[in-house]
Amino acid sequence: MTNTQIPPARSQSAPRPPAALVRPSARERGTRLLATVFLAPTIVGIVVFTVVPIVGSVVLSLFHWNVIDSPRFAGAANYGEVFGDSTVLVSFRNTLLFMVLAVALQLLVALVLAITVNGRMPLWLRSVFRSAFFFPLVLSAASISVVMKYLFNQDFGLVNWLLGLVGIAPVPWLTSENGAMAAVILVYVWQQFGFSFLLFVGGLNNIPKEVHEAAALDGATGLRKHLHVTLPLLSPTLLVASVVGIINALQVFEQPYVLTNGGPGDSTRTVVMVIYETAFEQLRFGTASAVGVLLFVLIMAVTALQFRLSRRFVHYQ
Amino acid sequence: MTDSHTRRSLLRYGAYGAAAAALAGTAASWDRLTAADIPGRDDGSLVVATLGPAYGPAAVRTLTEGFAEQYPDIKLRINAVQAVDWSDFFAKILTQIAAGTAPDLVYVATEGVQLFAQRLGLPLDRWVRRDADELREYFADVHPSLVESMMYEGSLYQLPVEFNAADMYLNRQVLRRAGADRPPADWTRDDFTALLRRMKKSSDSHFTPYFWTNRLWGGVVPWLFANGTNLLAESKAPGGDWLWDTFYPADQRQGRGGGFRWTTPQATGARFEETYEYLASLIEEGLCTRPEGGNGQNLVGVFSTGRVGVTPAGGFWAGGLHQAGMPADRYDVQYFPRWRTQRHQFGGAGYALLRTSKRQEEAWEFIKYAARKDTLTRLFTTNQTTPARRSMLTADRYRETGPDHWRVFYDTLDRFPDTGPIPAPPQVAEVEQVLLKHTGTALSSPRAVRPALRRLQGDLEKAMERDA
Repeated sequence: MTNTQIPPARSQSAPRPPAALVRPSARERGTRLLATVFLAPTIVGIVVFTVVPIVGSVVLSLFHWNVIDSPRFAGAANYGEVFGDSTVLVSFRNTLLFMVLAVALQLLVALVLAITVNGRMPLWLRSVFRSAFFFPLVLSAASISVVMKYLFNQDFGLVNWLLGLVGIAPVPWLTSENGAMAAVILVYVWQQFGFSFLLFVGGLNNIPKEVHEAAALDGATGLRKHLHVTLPLLSPTLLVASVVGIINALQVFEQPYVLTNGGPGDSTRTVVMVIYETAFEQLRFGTASAVGVLLFVLIMAVTALQFRLSRRFVHYQ
Repeated sequence: MTDSHTRRSLLRYGAYGAAAAALAGTAASWDRLTAADIPGRDDGSLVVATLGPAYGPAAVRTLTEGFAEQYPDIKLRINAVQAVDWSDFFAKILTQIAAGTAPDLVYVATEGVQLFAQRLGLPLDRWVRRDADELREYFADVHPSLVESMMYEGSLYQLPVEFNAADMYLNRQVLRRAGADRPPADWTRDDFTALLRRMKKSSDSHFTPYFWTNRLWGGVVPWLFANGTNLLAESKAPGGDWLWDTFYPADQRQGRGGGFRWTTPQATGARFEETYEYLASLIEEGLCTRPEGGNGQNLVGVFSTGRVGVTPAGGFWAGGLHQAGMPADRYDVQYFPRWRTQRHQFGGAGYALLRTSKRQEEAWEFIKYAARKDTLTRLFTTNQTTPARRSMLTADRYRETGPDHWRVFYDTLDRFPDTGPIPAPPQVAEVEQVLLKHTGTALSSPRAVRPALRRLQGDLEKAMERDA
């Protein structure tokens, strides 16, 4: 009954002053101060290491700067240069292609392995697989790429040697346009799928057993059960994994840099590689910043699109 | 009450505004905060930046201890910067300069001589003139081509301490297998091709006769030199007489100038195209690796195990092969083969003094110290490079590491007087980048050569138009 009481008449006749003008109590002020103290390191960290560099990049993209001389204001000239540079445009195309193929493969491999490992299996073996699949993620991408470069070498690599044992001619993994992109994607996916795998394992564990039991009673088995029951219930996890995967893939650098140095030609040159080369090899920091700003916009747009599409495809229980 | 709150709010926001304005004013009027402002950064030492992988802890200790004995009053700090190649090294040095922690001296290879000279370096002319008597012994021991490669627009910017010309390393085991002898000094491109074919014929499918790398030094450039062309049109700057007249006899100073100039790209020239077509044909015939496939990291392994027969390298590789355990009698070296010419390419290195240095006199003392024979002897104990001083190349030095014909390393400069440095204008980073990129595409097949070289020409022109 008390919950349904009409507010006192005072509130109607004398409206309360705006909250901003109400002096907080000493206890409230103490709580606010404490919250500010606890939040301060994070806020300072975000401002110094995220906001300032982003704003700095945008500002720098409007200047010509070669580190040695003072920056010169250039207006939108750097952006004009970027749009007229075929290498930059090719790098955006490569990065988008890489993103689509690598993220799709990464999610597929992670999902299949997560479902397999989550199936009937001794607990110790499940732990072994979980660790093994996650392990590449903690290794340095550069170190892995150096080793992979040996393995994929056309003339002396282990991969072609093994293929040769079964009569397959040497594959130009790193020296042909398609082979190089395939090798970069394989190495990247091998290292990165562990993260999605762990997310999927967690997501699968959160699906109530009853749902699967009910589906089984209705006659759903095998692939059908996973397509119509597991996947819809796993869609929130799938969204997180794909968002993180896409953001990471759009920023890929180490694997193509070490494995192919962007070649042959520009076939594996990515946007972040172009940023690095333009800034640190050619000393054109303004142009590099302009490319960085465009990449930032692209990532924001793709992520926004994903969240918009997620309203249709993601099912929260 | 409301008025009081409004007044209080007004005062508070006013105070915030005043504080922000004061902060902005202070920041605007203050000199830029740099890494040099970090307490303890500037301890008064003479700072020398070297390429980390080439200067291990032992080398740093040798340099530091030896210098301390000679100059106890000068505090020295060697900053061994880790980098994968010279381009990466220069980028890191430039980042240090941007951060306000510029070293006094930087170890600079041919790739960066003109970049540093044009934008950052200080000519050594006045010190060289002043200490001419002391330096006579040094110049008498160093080939003038090496000195000339360290000059820019008439001034000397570095004293070369090491160099490497691209000669041909030959695997003796593979030569024996093919029933071939070490080729003569004046062997030709056709002799070279025939040797590769013999090697291929006598080996299994896991063998590739010729291994090379796609880079500025030792990649396609030696072949361009041998075919009488270059990546960029080459000429010599006027000047430099003050140095040649002071230190070199008439026969050695003939044709010398004030350093090299590399200008117009020549990628669409007939000889340029011919060179690429030749290399593409070698790849197509299975006589050599694709350029992207080859890299120095696995070269030692495949060469020492007989899976490669021939590869271009400098004196530095004698030390590398020895360290990898390859006995001295298992390999040998010969000059690069003749095509239209037998001009060789080389790259050298020395210390560049930066304009921003506040310890220029001390830095000059270090440059002289680093070029002394006793210093270089202590430093280059493992034959990890070819010393710039001719007198250091002795039978004793190469007894353990080999090769038998070690004289080739320095004689390259004497026997082929037109031998010169790799083309490295101030825009070298971009020039190298587009060269590597289009070389990979051009050599995908003989048909791909012409279109790829047209793109190379276009990109080189754009790179050369840009201000370094």
